[in-house]
Amino acid sequence: MTLKTRIIAYSHQEEREAEKRPLSFRLISRLFSFARPYRRQRFILIMLVIFRAIQLPCLAWAMGAIIGGPVTRMDTRGILLGTAGYGLLAFITQLVFRYRVLVAQNLGENVVADVRKNMFRHIQCLPMSFYHKTRLGRIISRFTSDTESVRQGVQDVLFVTMVQTGQMLIAAFFMIWYDKVLFLVVVAMAPMLWALNRYFHSRLSRVYRASQESFSRVTAALVESVNGIRVTQGYVREDLNADIFQELVTDHSRYNMDAARVAGTFIPLLELKSQLFVALILFIGGWRVMHGFSSVESLYQFLLMAGNFFAPIQGIGNQYNVALSAMAGAERVFNLMDTSPEWSDPPDAVAVSDCMGEVEFENVTFGYNPQKPVLHDINFVASPGQTVALVGHTGSGKSSIINLIAKFYLPTQGRLLIDGRDIRGINSESLHRKMGIVLQENFLFTGTVLDNIRVGKPDATREDVVRVAKELDCLDLIASLSDGFNTVVGEKGSGISLGQRQLICITRAMLANPRLLIMDEATSSVDTMTEARIQKAIERLLTNRTSFVVAHRLSTIRHADVVLVLEDGRIVETGTHEDLLKKGRLYADLYREFIRSAEA
Amino acid sequence: MSLKNDDNQDQPGMNSRMLIKRLLKLAWKYRRGCLKVVALQVVLLTLGMLGLGLSGVGVDYVRYQLALKSPDAVAGVIAPKLPRWPFGIVPPDDWSPMIVVGLISAVILILAGIRTLLNISYAICMNDLVQGKIVVDLRGQVFRKMQKLSFRFFDANASGTIINRVTGDVQAVRSFVDGVVIQSLIVAISLAIYLCYMIRIHGQLTLACLATTPLLWYATVRFSRLVRPAYERNRELFDRQIMVLSENVQGVNVVKGFARQEDEIGKFDRAVDAVRDQKRSIFKRICNYQPLIGFITQVNLIVLMGYGGFLVVNYERASSVEAASLVGLSIGQFLVFAGLLQQFSGQVANLSSVADSMQQSLTCSRRVFEVIDAPVEIQNSPNSVRIQRLRGEVAFDNVSFAYHASDPVLENLSFRVEPGQCVAVLGTTGSGKSSLLGLVPRFYDVTGGRLLIDGHDVKDINLEDLRRGIGIVFQESFLFSNTIRENIAFGCPAATDEDVVKAAKIAAAHDFIMEMQKGYDTVLRENGSNLSGGQRQRLAIARAVLLEPSILLLDDPTASVDSQTEGEIMEAIENAMESRTTFIVAHRLSTLRKADMVIVLRDGKIAQAGTHAELMKSQGLYQYAAKMQGADEESLRLLNITGIT
Repeated sequence: MTLKTRIIAYSHQEEREAEKRPLSFRLISRLFSFARPYRRQRFILIMLVIFRAIQLPCLAWAMGAIIGGPVTRMDTRGILLGTAGYGLLAFITQLVFRYRVLVAQNLGENVVADVRKNMFRHIQCLPMSFYHKTRLGRIISRFTSDTESVRQGVQDVLFVTMVQTGQMLIAAFFMIWYDKVLFLVVVAMAPMLWALNRYFHSRLSRVYRASQESFSRVTAALVESVNGIRVTQGYVREDLNADIFQELVTDHSRYNMDAARVAGTFIPLLELKSQLFVALILFIGGWRVMHGFSSVESLYQFLLMAGNFFAPIQGIGNQYNVALSAMAGAERVFNLMDTSPEWSDPPDAVAVSDCMGEVEFENVTFGYNPQKPVLHDINFVASPGQTVALVGHTGSGKSSIINLIAKFYLPTQGRLLIDGRDIRGINSESLHRKMGIVLQENFLFTGTVLDNIRVGKPDATREDVVRVAKELDCLDLIASLSDGFNTVVGEKGSGISLGQRQLICITRAMLANPRLLIMDEATSSVDTMTEARIQKAIERLLTNRTSFVVAHRLSTIRHADVVLVLEDGRIVETGTHEDLLKKGRLYADLYREFIRSAEA
Repeated sequence: MSLKNDDNQDQPGMNSRMLIKRLLKLAWKYRRGCLKVVALQVVLLTLGMLGLGLSGVGVDYVRYQLALKSPDAVAGVIAPKLPRWPFGIVPPDDWSPMIVVGLISAVILILAGIRTLLNISYAICMNDLVQGKIVVDLRGQVFRKMQKLSFRFFDANASGTIINRVTGDVQAVRSFVDGVVIQSLIVAISLAIYLCYMIRIHGQLTLACLATTPLLWYATVRFSRLVRPAYERNRELFDRQIMVLSENVQGVNVVKGFARQEDEIGKFDRAVDAVRDQKRSIFKRICNYQPLIGFITQVNLIVLMGYGGFLVVNYERASSVEAASLVGLSIGQFLVFAGLLQQFSGQVANLSSVADSMQQSLTCSRRVFEVIDAPVEIQNSPNSVRIQRLRGEVAFDNVSFAYHASDPVLENLSFRVEPGQCVAVLGTTGSGKSSLLGLVPRFYDVTGGRLLIDGHDVKDINLEDLRRGIGIVFQESFLFSNTIRENIAFGCPAATDEDVVKAAKIAAAHDFIMEMQKGYDTVLRENGSNLSGGQRQRLAIARAVLLEPSILLLDDPTASVDSQTEGEIMEAIENAMESRTTFIVAHRLSTLRKADMVIVLRDGKIAQAGTHAELMKSQGLYQYAAKMQGADEESLRLLNITGIT
């Protein structure tokens, strides 16, 4: 690279997943178990495949037989009869082909749909820690490329291999029947073809991978250029970046050239091989015919039949490679399906119907990694209807407490009681129905703003939503979006700011009319002027619900019933805002710090 | 003008005739490469036919030698016929039959060898033309243009579709050159050659065998017309399915927190079923075509066998070679014919892929040309002034601005900022704060009034000078996945290490950078995800400071960080503001108090303006908000703090 700078640095941080895996009986039988519900289809397919394996060489044979028989004998009637027979065979062959393709594709599609549904259902049961550990890209590739290789494994490998093996055997039988010696020529060519295929296959996959990698550098630079366009233009780097990109693209084209060179050599060499075959058959076969060792008909038969014998050598080789990647894909898919949830609701979990909203932490210790606890010995009780504020520096454990209350994680030690019942024994779903959660970073689904608010209560009417927004004093702010409640989230140009997103999320939580409300930095991105407005409304909504509030603007929590001050995963102070200020310890320090940053 | 209407297929910006003309022009630009490729293909074709013809001659010769010995010939029932030698080159009589056969085989092999070499160079030439030249040129061109398009373009188009214009769409455009122009030339030439050759062998047989061609052509075209849109639709359904999945994972907090698992499973199952059902309906609709096309090809062979077989009989019965070739054809020719027929059907199938490429390159080229042709809305006026260093005096003179004409964002703003002053802008969500800042570096142009910098209308200032004179920190700063050093030096890649360190120190970033293992050479992950929010913003400030800008724009740089981090960032900002004209969107009283002027926006208009002290005196939005976020008097009393309000 001649330019001094780059758009992005390219690193290989991502470890690559294995593309292939040896054949394994365990995986294969499990794969086929997915086809079990469709065993009728599978049976029909096997029948069709056997038919096809016989038909293909027979077609070639029929043609040779007509030329070598009636045509040579100058038997016009025979020619017509033969041709009619050939036509019938051709028709049946295509008819079988129609069903073979249709059944195979339907089978593959059914299996793939089942695999995807199963995986999705399974990951819904996995607890939060799974999502914490697994990258989205990984999960998506389980559903896309891995499932696709499973499809090929189920729909193609076995059946194509069956067709091809059968076709090859029958072609060999015909050729031996006609001329054993000449068949030796054919057999001699087979390893050549096999070697050629293997050599180029490995080279091809290498150059294609290099080309793909260079292309991913191009797209990575492109993606960042588009996402960072404001910075680029603000810092006047347009021309420089365009030059860098031009070099990247040129570089990529060099990899492409390599690939083209390899692929461009392989196919002509294959053709050369078939020409060599024709020449050999002409020469050796010609000699044998002229010396009476063989008939002219066998010459035709060999020329016509050769394709049926050679094609499977390549075909089966390719199927083998497909099978290996199907194994790798299947293993990953099964691994995901087999990931057992670290915990799940016990079978006798109780569904809460009437939640009072009492929350009690009893000697709770917790760590995302059990060896490294982030909360130590937490004890407190929140009575129904109370507002509990959690205060402390970054990393002091506020969000972990919230994650436990939401039952996203379970305590490592100790007990968390809701209305006096251990949270482990409460049905998660029923608990979540009583809960409203607003986090600092809130996710909105693609769809309208209205749909997103309704997530909190799917059967709510538009009027319900409007009423809640009005109670929150943010109706005009949502209505002022480009399309009001019908604004589509996620679409470019819909112009929903961070603050507006949070307002939508607060409305969503309130719509559920929860008994337990969790607000973790819920208004952090809302500007102060808007925050000031809706703060009053929120306070009003907090009454009668047990709520847990984390906020870095300490001015917003002074009406809390209890303030828990956390430091390094321990509760160091408890009391009301006034009590704690009077005490003049950590909370008072934090408050002074806050006032300084706000006013100093 | 609106660039978004490309999503709207029935509103093409360019009609197809114009597009084709333009694409042909593109192909013309690369005419030398194209000609070379076509010429190579013609040579290849000719050699291939020669080889095929020779193998026919070989079979006939073997048969001739055999017939000489057959009892029929001896009895005079049939006359053994020598094959028609190509180009009239007759082997000398004294050569033994095996030498002749050997020679024919050898020539076939040699021809095949030459073809192999030519084929390899054909592949390389084609790739060099297509991937090496056309795609590289087009990608570079589109990217370069894209870099200069205004923010409006990026506001209106999702990044995925913009990226696709440089990757996929460009490929589809170049496929007009190789898939349409070159391919149709090759198909036309080769069909003509095949046809001539076959007619030369036997005209009527050719006609009989090719009678099905129109049917074949019709079936292939119908097939591809049916398949393509159906699979495209399936692709969309599949993308939707993956979107449901990825949103489910990204929004797992919401899914679990609102107990939505069952609904999500239902949603996903429906998406999966939609893909499966549509696929099955595709299979059902198209499953007849492939066998039909296969069968039509075989009908050709059937005709050949019936009619051709009859002709072979005629040939054998004829008394001399001359008479024979009038009424029939030899077995060798018969075999050659069979081979040709197959290649002919192959080329007819190619024709349908030409039609296909044509369709696709037309749709995609529209998108590509749209970018290439898009007017750069914001560019230097012809007599723009060059200003080496801005003083930093900014005046809004009755400025109005709107993204869409009907929906004004800013209305009639007038105020003036002296060099070195600090202006704080505040207002509720959506009141136009960010838009106001975006006007200064001309990310957008004002739609009414004038914006003056150092007394010049910004539209008259050289754009590069203007933007170099302005440092910007966004609400969420975008950092490239590059080293920290290169990120700080983004605006000035030639900056020395000392410059970079100095900028980092001003932005209070030096210490945390040095604490990292690789210091300034640490490579950031995508979106700088290996840094905290505060660290990202401080790098962004360093990036801005490095340029020594006269004007600094800070768009709510502390919006998404907690109060502790906020303190760190504010320290960096205070250093950076030194002796620069600063526009800052802020809510903190600490910042507001220091500003020389505070502008309170409401619905795009200035609701209040003045210093903090002035605004605190008048009852209004400002006073209300300021009181709201500060500590209440009761709390202050408890803390024994007095006299701060």
